Amino acid sequence: MENIQIPWLTAMISLPLIAALAIPVIPDKEGKKVRLYALGVGIVDLVLMVYAFWYNYNLETTELQLTETYNWIPQLGVSWSVGVDGLSMPLIILSGLISTLAILASWQVTHRPKLFYFLVLVLYSAQIGVFAAQDLLLFFLMWEIELVPVYLLISIWGGKKRLYAATKFILYTALASIFILVAGLALAFYGGEFTLNLTELSLKEYPLALEVLAYAGFFIAFGVKLPVFPLHTWLPDAHSQASAPISMILAGVLLKMGGYGLIRFNIEMLPHGHIQFAPLLIVLGVVNIVYGALAAFGQTNLKRRLASSSISHMGFVLIGIASFTDLGINGAVLQMVSHGLIAAALFFLSGVVYDRTHTLMMDEMGGIAQEMPKTFAMFTAGAMASLALPGMSGFVAELSIFLGVSTSDVYSQSFRVGIIFLTAVGLIITPIYLLSMLREVFYGQKNPQLKLDGFSVDAKPREIYITAALLVPIIALGLYPKLVTNTYDVKTIEVTTKVREALSVMAEQQGNNLNVNLLSSQQSSAMIAPHIPG
Amino acid sequence: MEPLYQYAWLIPVLPLLGATLVGIGLISLNKATNNLRQIVAVFIVSITGVAMVMSFAILWSQIQGHPVYNRTIEWASAGDFRLTMGYTIDHISSLMLVIVTTVAFLVMIYTDGYMAHDDGYVRFYAYLSIFSSSMLGLVISPNLVQVYIFWELVGMCSYLLIGFWFDRKPAADACQKAFVTNRVGDFGLLLGMLGLYWATGSFEFGVMGERLEELVSSGTLWSGLAVIFAILVFLGPVAKSAQFPLHVWLPDAMEGPTPISALIHAATMVAAGVFLIARMYPVFENIPIAMNTIAWTGAATAFIGATIALTQNDIKKGLAYSTMSQLGYMVMAMGIGSYTAGLFHLMTHAYFKAMLFLCSGSVIHGMEAVVGHNPVVAQDMRLMGGLRKYMPVTAITFLIGTLAICGIPPFAGFWSKDEILGQAMTANPALWFIGWATAGLTAFYMFRMYFMTFEGEFRGNDTGIRQQLLAASGVVFGPGAMDTKEHEDHGHDDSPHESPLTMALPLVVLAIPSVALGLIGRPWANNFEEFIHAPSESLAEITAEAGQFDWTEFGIMAGLSVAIATAGIIVAFLAYRAKKIDPNAIAKKYPALYKFSLNKWYFDEIYNQVFVIGSRRLARQIMEVDSRVVDGAVNLTGLATLLSGEGLKYLETGRAQFYALIVFAAVLGFVLVFSIT
Repeated sequence: MENIQIPWLTAMISLPLIAALAIPVIPDKEGKKVRLYALGVGIVDLVLMVYAFWYNYNLETTELQLTETYNWIPQLGVSWSVGVDGLSMPLIILSGLISTLAILASWQVTHRPKLFYFLVLVLYSAQIGVFAAQDLLLFFLMWEIELVPVYLLISIWGGKKRLYAATKFILYTALASIFILVAGLALAFYGGEFTLNLTELSLKEYPLALEVLAYAGFFIAFGVKLPVFPLHTWLPDAHSQASAPISMILAGVLLKMGGYGLIRFNIEMLPHGHIQFAPLLIVLGVVNIVYGALAAFGQTNLKRRLASSSISHMGFVLIGIASFTDLGINGAVLQMVSHGLIAAALFFLSGVVYDRTHTLMMDEMGGIAQEMPKTFAMFTAGAMASLALPGMSGFVAELSIFLGVSTSDVYSQSFRVGIIFLTAVGLIITPIYLLSMLREVFYGQKNPQLKLDGFSVDAKPREIYITAALLVPIIALGLYPKLVTNTYDVKTIEVTTKVREALSVMAEQQGNNLNVNLLSSQQSSAMIAPHIPG
Repeated sequence: MEPLYQYAWLIPVLPLLGATLVGIGLISLNKATNNLRQIVAVFIVSITGVAMVMSFAILWSQIQGHPVYNRTIEWASAGDFRLTMGYTIDHISSLMLVIVTTVAFLVMIYTDGYMAHDDGYVRFYAYLSIFSSSMLGLVISPNLVQVYIFWELVGMCSYLLIGFWFDRKPAADACQKAFVTNRVGDFGLLLGMLGLYWATGSFEFGVMGERLEELVSSGTLWSGLAVIFAILVFLGPVAKSAQFPLHVWLPDAMEGPTPISALIHAATMVAAGVFLIARMYPVFENIPIAMNTIAWTGAATAFIGATIALTQNDIKKGLAYSTMSQLGYMVMAMGIGSYTAGLFHLMTHAYFKAMLFLCSGSVIHGMEAVVGHNPVVAQDMRLMGGLRKYMPVTAITFLIGTLAICGIPPFAGFWSKDEILGQAMTANPALWFIGWATAGLTAFYMFRMYFMTFEGEFRGNDTGIRQQLLAASGVVFGPGAMDTKEHEDHGHDDSPHESPLTMALPLVVLAIPSVALGLIGRPWANNFEEFIHAPSESLAEITAEAGQFDWTEFGIMAGLSVAIATAGIIVAFLAYRAKKIDPNAIAKKYPALYKFSLNKWYFDEIYNQVFVIGSRRLARQIMEVDSRVVDGAVNLTGLATLLSGEGLKYLETGRAQFYALIVFAAVLGFVLVFSIT
């Protein structure tokens, strides 16, 4: 393995955190210097990431790269172990981009600015930490650290029902995160040697029952985050009460931690458990898509509608990772990146609108396109991206997942037909709620009760810049998806190969001895095919 | 010629670059860009002009016998999966390139006059350009995925352009309806595409057809499945080409500015469905059930469209239903296996219908000077009449278009429609009869339109009718909307005027193909068929067939079509010109039939009740369930856990220890259980 001198990842993770510690000493009451400082830190860290990955990241290998391991708390066996591979690298850059843009988006925070930017920078560090951690306890630590700033950011700078939303958020995610620890430690203690290293954990062999139990634990933890029906109800509250920049980070990055965790822990460590659960994942994915879309259509609050649409779109991730095909998992990762960009853009724009209208109720708006044509144009572009218009990233991701499931030989034909049909129904509902959102907010005659004020009404250059910084990659990925799929292609193929190997081993065992599989009776009615060609 | 083919990708890319440039200008330097106006127009029009010249050159070289040209790059890959994108230049795509670029070019020139006073002039050109780009990309697509991509993009352009006047509520509703209805079709197209890929492992049109045929004939694939896939794919054209039962969006799409109705909703985009059927011909032609479905859908659409067009009073709505009906002819032609005739009608229709729409735009433009900018009065034919005196160029070109669509020889529509009807007779006399009867209805409603608009006395200054129309539309607009429009409701002239040169010129240019283009498809010497024929037919077969041309049969068929068309024209003349028949009396005598036609067979009402209200109710219920049941259940579970924790807390000294204990116990439990077993 390449020997790396400079601790790139440690630098990336610690820079915002250390920089945040300096905020209290900045002599600034109004927050104008602090916001520039925070933005500077964000940009430097983003540049650092891009530089480090550009020169030191090898696209050809599936190995962990830029790895660093330091003994941290040797008594507990905890080490500061970080590294990136194809799964985490794009998501780290996504976090850097979205967090930096979120700082730029929170320009008008005047209430306790120092604390605000301090928390945002801590959150910045924690996000990268989650994606880079290669030690179970480090991962858990980062996961918990990221919750606290979000809780405070919602409960101090949120909307009218912010305390309720923040409490709900922290209860759901904190309670669920215990499962990471329990399931992870169970795996760590199992067998001869104790290890907390994620790679070593994934090389261990576990009995099927342990895999299934640990899988269930991880699935609850990551399912709350993703979110998976029925654990999603914290999300519309949190998103609608959080201020726009925090919604950007919530929808853009934090939800992806769920998807990332599912691939990193559930699939890589527990492939046999994954085989047991995959049909459930697909079914829940479809429920997410259709249920989320219908719930979005029912919402009358702009941000709640966008939040429900996130539930719907994350359903594709579930389906993709349970498809057992290169295309499906590839599409799932792409969907995470793509949704991160699109959701961030839409939440940001909803903030732009809210700053002028001071309401999020769509029936109180109407006809604002006449005064805000630029915002209208950008919002339309964002909505088009969200409804998976070709030429934008969401389309490629959803098409890959569709192709992945439809060509997956693991599931029976009728199961696939049903799944694809219902998922495609989601494709019809999506434009209904997105376009009627545009119609209610922007089209028609201006609502006479509505007063637009606060700014020079239409979007200002800073706001256009933020949207453009999100739309340009959305369109670039839509036009040439290999820009990002190249970075993780080898990794997703490896993941697929691993689960498929597990699948064929399992199929043999099932053939030899039916008693081995505790859940075989439950599964036999389901869709795992008895033999796998090739 | 090679460089021309190597750079053929510029044809769609150039308009895209133009649109991007203008779009960036509009976002970043809004005022400055909007003030450029005609500079932008000249820029966009010349870009389209370049694309048009290139298209003509390509068509010429294809006529000269240049082989099919393919160029692709790998676009996406995952594991063993490879998806390529690129372009293919063959006979049909070169023909479509020319149709799209010429109509787009002329419409863009026309736009300068039509949108001269509109605030959105520059934005309109940007949209036009991005539409041209998507449409051109569609026709040169080498595989089904790429078609799907551009298919959705033209749909998006259509959405943007229908909703161009975003402050009008009907436009806002119409654009959403168009997009969602088209998504229903795309849903089928996507499923069909996935199914075909699953079965054949390819997205190439020819390969899909071949392998599907093999699979079905060898019994590997159940033939019913092939039928389902084909019909699912056909759902795409059903929506895009406004076929029954997904036609409801097209008439509402007339809320967009008229140049759009001509370009997108008459000549090019709506014909994309027919184009897709032509591309998918290798798949469809081996599946008789699918072909029959296509044919009967087309026939039903042709008939329904024509019956509704009979009673429409809005000039654009009338033309929209006529478009729907003509598209029905094309689809029917495809379904009965007369590939050439379908595409021939696509071509002739593109020109004469684009011209008719542009004429209607010219009429509206003239009317607006008298009655103001409210579409309710500016587009209603009851307020027109006698316009031939005031706008002679528009009247003559409209008459040419009307004669063409009615199928009067030697105008273009005669040759193409007659070819379809002739082949329908061979395929199934019932289909022929529907087509033939529809031709009579077509002649009647088109001449009704012509007489009401251009002949007789000008009724535009009749305030009685105006008030009546405005009162009737008040229901649609709502009382609030009318107040703001008050100042626009009064025109500034007493009589309409002929449109400016930029509008009249495209009409005259389009009149040429509307008159003469049909002659390349004379049944006894069909140059068109030699160039465009089904992929499974060879040129030798076609020349052999042409050799057996039967003059008597042609005479009977053509005579019958011309006879019914003439009958339609005479009835229209008696009712709307000579006033010998009172159409109102007929309407009163058969009120049910009249209402049925006037209310468009009640499709909108039924769909509204079933789908719109139904889906809203479902969404509301889901949301209720979400906030009451799901949220409640999960919260309750969480609460129960917490409460048990509260209870236990008293047994312990504090919460942190409890937390640690639970974790520790759980881990210990796991380890013990699994280490021992």
